[in-house]
Amino acid sequence: MQSKKSVLVVSVFLLIAIVVSACAPTTSAATAPAAATQAPAKSMDAAKTTSAADFGGMDGLIKAAQAEGKLTTITLPRDWCNYGEIMDTFTKKYGIEVTDLNPEGGSADEIEAIKANKDSKGPQAPDVIDIGLAYGPQAKKDGLVAPYKVAGWDTIPDANKDADGAYYGDYYGVMTLQVNADVVKDVPKDWKDLLDPKYKGQVALAGDPRASNQAAQTVYAAALANGGSLDNVSPGLEYFKKLNAAGNLLPVIADSGTFAKGETPITFAWDYLGLAAKENNKDNPKTLVVIPDSGQFGGYYVQAISAYAPHPAAARLWEEYLYSDEGQLLLLKGFCHGMRYSDLAKRSVVPAELAAKVPAPESYAKAVFPNLDQLSKVREDVKNQWDSVVGVNYPKQ
Amino acid sequence: MAQVKPASLWAWVWFGLGVLFFCLPLYGTLDFSLRATKGELGFTAYERVLSDPEFLQAFLFSARMAIFTILTSIIILVPTAYWVHLKLPRLRPVIELITLLPFVIPAIVLVFGLIRLYSRPPLLMTDSIFKTDILLVGGYVILSFPYMYRAIDIGLRAIDIRTLTEAAQSLGANWYTILFRVIFPNLRVAIISGALITFATVMGELILASFLARPALGPYMAELGRTKAYEPAALAMISYALTLVALGLISLISRGTVSQQQMSGAH
Amino acid sequence: MASQVAEAHPQVIALPRAARLKFSWTWLGVVPFFAFVIVFLILPSSALFIGALQDAEGNFTLKNIAGLFTPYVLEAYSLSIRVSLVTALAGGVFGFLMAYAITLGRLPRVLGSGLLIFSGLAANFGGVPLAFSFIATVGRTGFITAFLATALGINLYDIGFNLYSFVGLCLVYLYFQLPLMILVMTPAFNGLKREWREASENLGASSWQYWRHIGLPILMPSMLGMLLLLFGSAFGAYATAFALTGGTLNLVTIVIGAQIRGDVLNDPHLGYALVLGMVAVMGISITGYTILQRRSARWLK
Repeated sequence: MQSKKSVLVVSVFLLIAIVVSACAPTTSAATAPAAATQAPAKSMDAAKTTSAADFGGMDGLIKAAQAEGKLTTITLPRDWCNYGEIMDTFTKKYGIEVTDLNPEGGSADEIEAIKANKDSKGPQAPDVIDIGLAYGPQAKKDGLVAPYKVAGWDTIPDANKDADGAYYGDYYGVMTLQVNADVVKDVPKDWKDLLDPKYKGQVALAGDPRASNQAAQTVYAAALANGGSLDNVSPGLEYFKKLNAAGNLLPVIADSGTFAKGETPITFAWDYLGLAAKENNKDNPKTLVVIPDSGQFGGYYVQAISAYAPHPAAARLWEEYLYSDEGQLLLLKGFCHGMRYSDLAKRSVVPAELAAKVPAPESYAKAVFPNLDQLSKVREDVKNQWDSVVGVNYPKQ
Repeated sequence: MAQVKPASLWAWVWFGLGVLFFCLPLYGTLDFSLRATKGELGFTAYERVLSDPEFLQAFLFSARMAIFTILTSIIILVPTAYWVHLKLPRLRPVIELITLLPFVIPAIVLVFGLIRLYSRPPLLMTDSIFKTDILLVGGYVILSFPYMYRAIDIGLRAIDIRTLTEAAQSLGANWYTILFRVIFPNLRVAIISGALITFATVMGELILASFLARPALGPYMAELGRTKAYEPAALAMISYALTLVALGLISLISRGTVSQQQMSGAH
Repeated sequence: MASQVAEAHPQVIALPRAARLKFSWTWLGVVPFFAFVIVFLILPSSALFIGALQDAEGNFTLKNIAGLFTPYVLEAYSLSIRVSLVTALAGGVFGFLMAYAITLGRLPRVLGSGLLIFSGLAANFGGVPLAFSFIATVGRTGFITAFLATALGINLYDIGFNLYSFVGLCLVYLYFQLPLMILVMTPAFNGLKREWREASENLGASSWQYWRHIGLPILMPSMLGMLLLLFGSAFGAYATAFALTGGTLNLVTIVIGAQIRGDVLNDPHLGYALVLGMVAVMGISITGYTILQRRSARWLK
């Protein structure tokens, strides 16, 4: 009868659900409650430590971190600065399991995640964050980050860190043109080349300048190359207006798929991302990373430890690892120059093949880095004026 | 009386246009996914995707969550929609608005709200995987509400529930019997439509799973799409193939229980 | 006093009590639904409703609501509403025709099931994969574009088509609107009893007359419900639009995304107010829909 059949349908569903659960390899059972009870006393102290000395030296820190056993990071794509390998070697070296939340997100997501997870001790609460420079001061003001100074603190340039240790620069890069050389035969060398009609419909930004850090910095970089300065981004907006009017700028967001397809064969990216893409693509398509002739615009991100981290010792160990020579070299493998790079170079600890793979430090000598105030003002300008000046809008329907 | 009239020409035309519209973009992705090796068509991208054990884990996890979501959604919405149709028609606009809210409330707001509320005692739910999965399924059910409710609402309009209910009551049936032996069977086609769409929604969902730190298919695909060019296209094709199998299964199971008249409609 | 009233109108005193009792039992039926919604939707979103009325320091303010009435924001709402209406109507009309084809059009049953399954699959598409599949098909380097250029000598982009435009976006939206309509509308055709068609034919009515007086009026409530669903679905779509237009098309969802999730300095409180604006638009749509429903339901009586 029909009712029996509906019971049959529901039971089959349940059966499928159970079978599917049984067949799927079992994910590790939750050990979070156990971990919390393992180190209750330590975690109270660990949250207030400001350097490895407070743990009684690196060994004390390592022991405390291993007792916690887990680390949660956020928005660290595996191919960004070789974070994937860094996370893997960290786990292998210390036995601490690393969970990465939402590799897609931006800095706003990271801050919001700390705020939402203030009381949470679960894996959804981030322990460490990697955010755009502009977010550092506000996070410090809101009490979301805990000050900490890593072992190599003194070798990080003063201009790139907060004096109290609330946040500190992790790696830098310069803005480049990323070109699909299979589609674009005549490779552009500079910003003004892109205005040429032969690149019609081939240029695209890698994000929305009103929302994405990298895209906003692209406009900033264009400004510098077209007569603007670190305080004046209008030439950059004008440049993109010209690019759009010429029909060269496509309104679509360029990603690895559209780039490889040839739909957006010219885009703008930080050099480390472009070089990582080049390595990933393995010549399919042939990817070129072009540092514009007219000037190099630099930018960097900052690290910070969450004030509400469920695993404070592990968080601090992560930072120590990232800023250790080993960590800095792994970043370099991902084409990212860590903030301690010049110190490593001075002591000649950079292996020759690795140094050969990445752009020489001299190519960054002319790079211009905006300070916090300039950065904030310019991004505000870009956000407010992008629509009206560049006007990449569609005919009213 | 079986109809022997053949299908009209227009039916074939519209059917053909529909199939064409659905298939062309699929072919676009398929064509791209075969070009991972330069200059030739091959399955390199597929090999790379399939050699990663995480893909199957992510797919099965999402499929599991989808099934629980579908069941929960049906159990909550069918009796509610039936009750509202029958006894509380004035409440309908309110229910409509509530079930359409998931369209306008951004998922990111929802997930942070869930975390804020349920990450501390007494309602602590983020400390164990099982309880976090309950949060996840709860969120998914909310996301499925617009589609499920509409499907069930249309299904209810197609049958005369007032007469059916009165007839059943006059025969001495209680509410349980009416729901499970009269209403549910008549809503089977509608429920299946809703289930198909809900399955699709859960499989592709990204934000909830990401921030609740659960290994679903959405975050896995997003991570892959960040830097790899051909693998996401191959991944998309594979997951569509698997989804096709799952949908076919659902359809097959239900086909045996759906009367011929229901599927082919009145003439 | 009460007894005098009771004598004059005996049912006045009796009714409230009876209604009150019946009232409570009937309402019980919807308690599970509301409980679930409160736990998983209303409470978690409460930060949004409260935040819309706050500024960055947490003080009460109406400036976010006022911010909704700037030309920029109004333009965004207008664009979103236009895109949603166009895709709802297009999805509604074409979906109706296709759902008709597989139910009343007497196509072989297996084809009908096939289209339903494909619809379920197409509904699976969304966001970046969907945008990419259209780019790979009718983008500047898409295979259809290339095919038309080489085989037929027609350059799609020269004759005015552009995937990165209002029309292009609507086309992509249609890819998930159409399956929605087909899947959910198909059961509605079961409500058209075969006997009615036969009876109308016996009375000499033409096909058009059948549809105009019987078929469409009966299906109208369901169709209106579908239009509402399609409208909401397009109105709230974010990932697809963002992937395809890079945020340059100012839909409300994209503006909200930039405010709440942006990597550049953002104003989440304005974002929350924008969401409230969307809720208001949906509320107005539902009111309009309910009024139309009541009118069309009269035909059924």
